[in-house]
Amino acid sequence: MIISRRVFVKSGGLALVSFGLDPLFLARAAFATNRLSGYPPNRPVLVCLFQRGAVDGLNMIVPHGDALYYRERPRIAVPATDVIDLDGYFGLHPRLAPLKQWWDAKSLAAIHAIGSPDASRSHFDAQDYMEAGTPGVKATPDGWLNRYCQHDRQHADTPFRAVAFGPQLPRILAGSAPSLAIDDLQAFGLRAPRLQPAARDRLTRAFEQLYAGSATGLLSSSSQEAFHAVQMLQQLDLAEYRPTNDAAYPRGRFGKAMLEIAQLIKADVGVQLAFADVTGWDTHVNQGASEGLLATRLGEFGQALAAFAQDLGEKLRDVVVLTMSEFGRTVRENGNSGTDHGHATAMLVLGGPVNGGTVLGRWPGLDPAQRFEGRDVQVTTDFRDLFAEILARHLGARDLSAVFPGFTPDPGRFPGAIRG
Amino acid sequence: MKTLVVPPLVTALLLAASVGAGQQPPVLTPRDSAFHALNRLAYGPRPGEVERVAQEGVMRWIDRQLAPDQIADGDRAAREREFRVLHYDRGDLAQLYLDAQRERRERKADTTADQTPGPVEQQGRRLAGQLAELAVVRATISERQLYEVMVDFWTNHFNVFLGKGADRFLLPDYVEHVIRPHALGRFEDLLIATAESPAMLFYLDNWESVALGLNENYARELLELHTLGVDGGYTQQDVINVARIFTGWSIKRPRQGGDFEFHESVHDEGEKQVLGVGFQASHGMDEGIRLLKLLANQPATMHHVSQQLCERFVSDDPPDGCVDDAVAAWRRSHGDLRQVLRAIFTSPDFWAPGTLGGKVKTPLEFVVSAARAVGADPDTNPRLAQLVARLGEPLYLHVAPDGYPEKQDAWVNSGALLDRMNAAVALAAGNVPGLVVHLDSIVSPSADADRLVAALDERILGGTLSPNTRKVLREQLADVGDPLQARALAVGLAIGGPEFQRQ
Repeated sequence: MIISRRVFVKSGGLALVSFGLDPLFLARAAFATNRLSGYPPNRPVLVCLFQRGAVDGLNMIVPHGDALYYRERPRIAVPATDVIDLDGYFGLHPRLAPLKQWWDAKSLAAIHAIGSPDASRSHFDAQDYMEAGTPGVKATPDGWLNRYCQHDRQHADTPFRAVAFGPQLPRILAGSAPSLAIDDLQAFGLRAPRLQPAARDRLTRAFEQLYAGSATGLLSSSSQEAFHAVQMLQQLDLAEYRPTNDAAYPRGRFGKAMLEIAQLIKADVGVQLAFADVTGWDTHVNQGASEGLLATRLGEFGQALAAFAQDLGEKLRDVVVLTMSEFGRTVRENGNSGTDHGHATAMLVLGGPVNGGTVLGRWPGLDPAQRFEGRDVQVTTDFRDLFAEILARHLGARDLSAVFPGFTPDPGRFPGAIRG
Repeated sequence: MKTLVVPPLVTALLLAASVGAGQQPPVLTPRDSAFHALNRLAYGPRPGEVERVAQEGVMRWIDRQLAPDQIADGDRAAREREFRVLHYDRGDLAQLYLDAQRERRERKADTTADQTPGPVEQQGRRLAGQLAELAVVRATISERQLYEVMVDFWTNHFNVFLGKGADRFLLPDYVEHVIRPHALGRFEDLLIATAESPAMLFYLDNWESVALGLNENYARELLELHTLGVDGGYTQQDVINVARIFTGWSIKRPRQGGDFEFHESVHDEGEKQVLGVGFQASHGMDEGIRLLKLLANQPATMHHVSQQLCERFVSDDPPDGCVDDAVAAWRRSHGDLRQVLRAIFTSPDFWAPGTLGGKVKTPLEFVVSAARAVGADPDTNPRLAQLVARLGEPLYLHVAPDGYPEKQDAWVNSGALLDRMNAAVALAAGNVPGLVVHLDSIVSPSADADRLVAALDERILGGTLSPNTRKVLREQLADVGDPLQARALAVGLAIGGPEFQRQ
């Protein structure tokens, strides 16, 4: 047979393109060959939550022991009498009260003064860097969670391995490893007019046959994953789900996402990574103190996290929830009783494996001389050090430099969020 | 000969391919060529269009598409008039921006007020929705199909994110007066127009870059994305010097209309060097124009942009041949985009058997081709644009400056595929509100499975229906007695099925 030399040379000996195949298809096919039967029930799970809009870390985990905090924020500081004290210096915003029991149980930790080595104060640049896992580098094609999936394949045995809750796959999960975006767990799959189950099942079967027989390449492997997922979900009684331990999720998108994440984890369908967004943190104006805009957002946030932990019960033993936000906010309040884009913020880790009950990270203080560009909390922990620690110590990742290219992970710098 | 280690899967594929070895490559029929050209230069055929193009002769049709001004396009022009977003000029939009800002300030200052967006902000959002729908409507009904495809291509190549502050109000003008006038013109003109556009100046922060406070954002993306490409042979020092050259390229205050303005007083007056070429001191804005012309005609730029055009029109991983052809045409014509495109469409790689059906449609391509296939007549209601967004490609909302990706791995995943199937079923059943479909243009209502399948293959799938799809469709239609239901089911399955995802 004759294959043109150029095609041979160009694609390293494989004239795949002309067969309608492609390297990604081969990658996906390789994932498929790793399928196991059954999922170990105590598999570690990581839930990543993105507080989009840059949360004010200083009013979330409040340095109430610092007079500077009160001096810089005359109108929006949380009064010391309202703060839920954690260690004499830091305390929780009062609306995060539902989380205190997890703190006391040593299942919740906070990391303060964490953020990006890149100085950008642009929401979308900073979010992009945090999701790509490459601060300052925009050309990174995939997200760090996806790269983790690419390099750690022994879990690639279920379509639910990596699930994002939302209409689209977020940047953090973009890439060649399969992952699911689920906007509404109950509506995932084919929808039939007038919601007739029989019609829906028939459509599902018809499309399944179409794709099984006629699809090639990536369309084939992705459709297999899709119908596999639909089939698994059908075996669960999603509509009848009741949270256990009287867990009360807040109303709204985020509460629903947390409930569905808990539902999937408890269903043992093999979730290893889950992702959801929680929005509304860009508090430039009237952000409030113990009450107000930010308090409302924190209330929903804390209630959802607490309900999730409650609902998981015993299962929380294998789960770590990590919250992140693109940057923090200015130390000093602005002229509109709000805060502007800053630098470092605080992140939370919650779950059984967490080294909880402490505020981790090196606290640089609020002294102007210690601030970043004279105005913002300095970053003393690169966010990649925390992410890398969780990947390594919780999920057992081995090739961290492949997940965070251009970054040399050093356990000596890990903030110590996961119990050894 | 070098020994190749070939994995078993590939061996099987090579064996399968060698069955056909010795046979001549299949010659494309006029219908095959027409279908291919309509899939790549256009957003897929409308029912009956494959025959029309085959009859006209595909090369003749391509040449007509390369001269869009000569193509009558009355339906599009008439429909455009219904889009209010086109009635706003730059000044109106600047005023709207000011009003929205004031409204927002007042609302936020009043803690007792309802914090939902006010009327002006909502108007801004509606305009944004209209802008996205306008793009989908034009792509669906315009006769100047290649032109609309190129507008989408450049919109991504010179991406601006609508969600960044003032860009919500700058984008309509950017699309109408920067991208569209140059989409099939000269690359150099397009590049200069984007550099001077308030939308780009704001998006990539150049408007605030001054001699004593350099912002490298635009300079970097100009080299990396717009022109030379990431491996285009420039250094960090080049990036800095490009940024210095563009200091002072800014925007008038919204109150003064928000147009482009060069601020001499903050321009870096020093001498600069970019790619080894000297730029004498104190030449103001001319330095930037000279630099853009230099960049537009660099071999690296020709190669980078030609490569991307070939990824769009030929293959996710295009062979060198078509890229070389495009570069040669670029060089000959000094960047006349019609010549560059013509070189791609006459390249053997474009017509190679492996090219046909070798690309997966992007969400925009899928939705528009589906709308065209069912004879849809979309209006200003943003439903189709919402469908495109739901499938993962909300128009003008790509955050990063690289624009939406062209390759299939960004678009093919299990959730997105299910969404496509759902969209297909909803479209065929007439369940997309505000969207009138004309299934009669494919086939009249019928419960005759063979008749339906034959019509779908001929009118929608250009004869690419696989034996398996034929079999499954027949089985599914066997017990559907109602002619309308049978037709809707058949069309839904065909559009949601695997063949229609390809182009």
